Amino acid sequence: MTEYVGQSMPRYNGIGQVTGTARYVDDIQFPGMLYVKVLRSPVHKGTIRNLDLSAVAKTTGVAGVLTADDIPGQNAYGFYGDSQVFNPKQPRFKGEPIAAVVAVDEDTAMEALAKAKLDIEEQTPVFDMFEALKPNAPLVRPGTANNLFEYAPGKTTFVIKLGDIEKGFQEADHVIEGTYKEGMQDHCPMEPHVSVARIDDADRLEIYTHSQCLNVHLGFLCPVFNLPQSKINYIGGRCGGGFGGKNDIHCDHIAGLAALKFRKPVKFRFTRKEDLAYSTKRGPWVFEYKTGFKSDGRIVASHIREFHDSGAYTGLSPYCIEKCGMFASGPYAVPNILVEAQVIYTNKPVSSSMRGFAVLNGQVAMETQMSRIAEQLGLDPWELRFINAWRDGDMGASRYVVQGAGAIEAMRKCAELAGIQLPAKLMEMNSRRR
Amino acid sequence: MKDVGYFAPSEIGETLKLLADYGAQATVLAGGTDLVPKINCYELKPENLLYIGRLGLDYIKEKDGKLVLGAATSTAQIAANELVQKKATALAQAAYRSGGAATKTIATVGGNVANASPGADLACALLAMDAEIALASVRGTRSVAIKDFFTGRGETVRRPDELLLEIHIPIPKGKTVFWKLGRRKAKTLSVANTSVHLLMDGKKCVEARIALGAMAPTLLRCTQAEALIKGQTLDITAAEECAARAVADSAPIDDQRASAWYRKKAGQALVVCALAQAADINN
Amino acid sequence: MKHVLSFTLNGAPVDALVQATDTLLDVLREKIGLTGTKRGCDTGNCGACTVLIDNEPVNACLTIALTVTGKTVTTVEGLVEGSELHPLQKAFHEHGASQCGFCTSGMLMAAKALLDKHPQPSRSAIVEFMSGNLCRCGTYLEVIEAIQAVAGGK
Repeated sequence: MTEYVGQSMPRYNGIGQVTGTARYVDDIQFPGMLYVKVLRSPVHKGTIRNLDLSAVAKTTGVAGVLTADDIPGQNAYGFYGDSQVFNPKQPRFKGEPIAAVVAVDEDTAMEALAKAKLDIEEQTPVFDMFEALKPNAPLVRPGTANNLFEYAPGKTTFVIKLGDIEKGFQEADHVIEGTYKEGMQDHCPMEPHVSVARIDDADRLEIYTHSQCLNVHLGFLCPVFNLPQSKINYIGGRCGGGFGGKNDIHCDHIAGLAALKFRKPVKFRFTRKEDLAYSTKRGPWVFEYKTGFKSDGRIVASHIREFHDSGAYTGLSPYCIEKCGMFASGPYAVPNILVEAQVIYTNKPVSSSMRGFAVLNGQVAMETQMSRIAEQLGLDPWELRFINAWRDGDMGASRYVVQGAGAIEAMRKCAELAGIQLPAKLMEMNSRRR
Repeated sequence: MKDVGYFAPSEIGETLKLLADYGAQATVLAGGTDLVPKINCYELKPENLLYIGRLGLDYIKEKDGKLVLGAATSTAQIAANELVQKKATALAQAAYRSGGAATKTIATVGGNVANASPGADLACALLAMDAEIALASVRGTRSVAIKDFFTGRGETVRRPDELLLEIHIPIPKGKTVFWKLGRRKAKTLSVANTSVHLLMDGKKCVEARIALGAMAPTLLRCTQAEALIKGQTLDITAAEECAARAVADSAPIDDQRASAWYRKKAGQALVVCALAQAADINN
Repeated sequence: MKHVLSFTLNGAPVDALVQATDTLLDVLREKIGLTGTKRGCDTGNCGACTVLIDNEPVNACLTIALTVTGKTVTTVEGLVEGSELHPLQKAFHEHGASQCGFCTSGMLMAAKALLDKHPQPSRSAIVEFMSGNLCRCGTYLEVIEAIQAVAGGK
């Protein structure tokens, strides 16, 4: 093992990647394979009055249709269990799957889908988080009291407290406030979402997946199919880029249902357009930062309010908001911290994980605050960061004790690579002690 | 599922006959870089494809003071062609910047014009050069000035039975330049583009033609802006006034590439740059 | 009506039964079963499906299959020379120019097209030529290094 440390090694499975023999999910084909296309909600919010798929099913080349009635188990999956495989009643975002058609090829499936008679009453959607917080806002989730995620019954705000925030602001010589807005982002991996499923020779449901978290997803799929883990052969290993987007199931559930119903190999793949429009996203954020600091540059108080747009379902938003909150004051020793965060539902695609689980989103805001503080104090922005950077033994927002801190060393390396000569006193600092 | 017909004639006469028979039921296919994505994305289902890549329409020649381009000449050919680089510089620049290497191999100049995208790069340069579009049908051939060719987004005066055969470019007397702004440096569609032809006599502008792209449902010829500088001394102030006039009549849209507001700003800046380059204005 | 498409694929003649609207990518991947060429966008934006037609780089997803009748198509599967990897394949592997690998086939084919024409391109010429091939993992620098290594070695 030690002979590999510090060495640049070729990928263990890289030969397949340069010869074109590496097998990705869309490369898998079985004789007689059927293809799935999904009937998606044409509206951002609505109530389905009637759905007639008889003409779809009768189209030449169509094996049949799939609806929520075909689900042997529960019509629910996801990290917080609220996503629906098919939404038969009240679609919550444009593009939400309502039903599916299974046909000999995708062109036939598309042609058949055009014959679906969907009678849907369009309702007023809400897209903006703050609109969604207003008292009479349209409700994204039918039967709920508001558009907020509940951490516990009645508890809609996630709070992190360290020290005494009021005392912190009293000690501060200056305070800077800032509001930061960040937009939605798609992972856009080169490999669009795809799944292949079939019944294998041991009568197990075999699913080829590009899942980024196989064990978790297998756990999600069992109750949908009403099958024990031993009856599902969930095969992963190759992923043509995920970046957090393949932390959520997009195709495996529907491909699996089709294979179970029609007992044939089935492929379900998103077009690039579907991938961009309907897959999970890095959700939009609004941050309100209030930072108190001393005239010598030390940050003494950090009050942060986070508003996270979760889209129509929960995805991984509560986890994102927690993780974001823990690190939202940056890699800096701030003795008094208050984070108050809310997950807000809107009629948009589902927000979930993406590279860094939302830690980065908070950093953008915090680092902007830092630059503004340096400017106000007339301090070198590097020095401000060096002064406040974590040292071993400092305490982070959620009371973790920092060990192996390295922000100073990392910043110094960045400066060196960028050809920036730092002042001597910064060169003498280190992360072991203040 | 209804099958789509496919024709790949090797003679122009046969092609025109097919167009006469099928009219709008025949979709002309050259490189396919604009057409095929629509088919792939289920936005278009042609009745018949009529492939014109076997007609020998890929040529660039000089004849009677004009450059003649076969409709199926690829953008890669045009970008690399010395005749075009020397005598219709802006067209070579537009072709070079029109896409990535793999797209330029098959994308054609005829397709760039016939597709009538308001942001088409080659068509923008051709508009500044007063090119003529040669259309052929069994009824004969006709020539249409490119400024009269486009009637709307994706719409032209080409009749369903006509084939865009050639593009004729009167060799510009002055200097031609092409500028574009995309979302990235290369392999990108234009957020805005412009092409300028200027004939200068010292610092005086003798002749001017300005084309502006992605700023309205069709490419724009900015005749009022041209009138501002024609016969005048062209310095940076005049160029700026001219550019402001050029975008004044534009009506860009908001889309995924840029907002209308941004397009106006960008278009104006591009025209200034293009004029400055074409007139050798320093600063 | 289906049409018979005859062309030369990686040095050998092939026939396939195709629809008029099938793209070369559809035919390569789903009719012939050569899945090294990847489907990333179906709109000519990503470059994952880059192949060579008569030695010129082309997006297979933008190419109506029947238009390659009588032509020569080279895919990533045709890069291996006998049992030896092509120098670009070796260089991509050694320089870590392939992370998830989904863009790699297209990158290799574009790079081959470049080096076949310009055996010693400048760095900026490489960047320019490869601009039609997207990578989301971020291997661009390694891709440039790998191409430079092959160009330098010739």
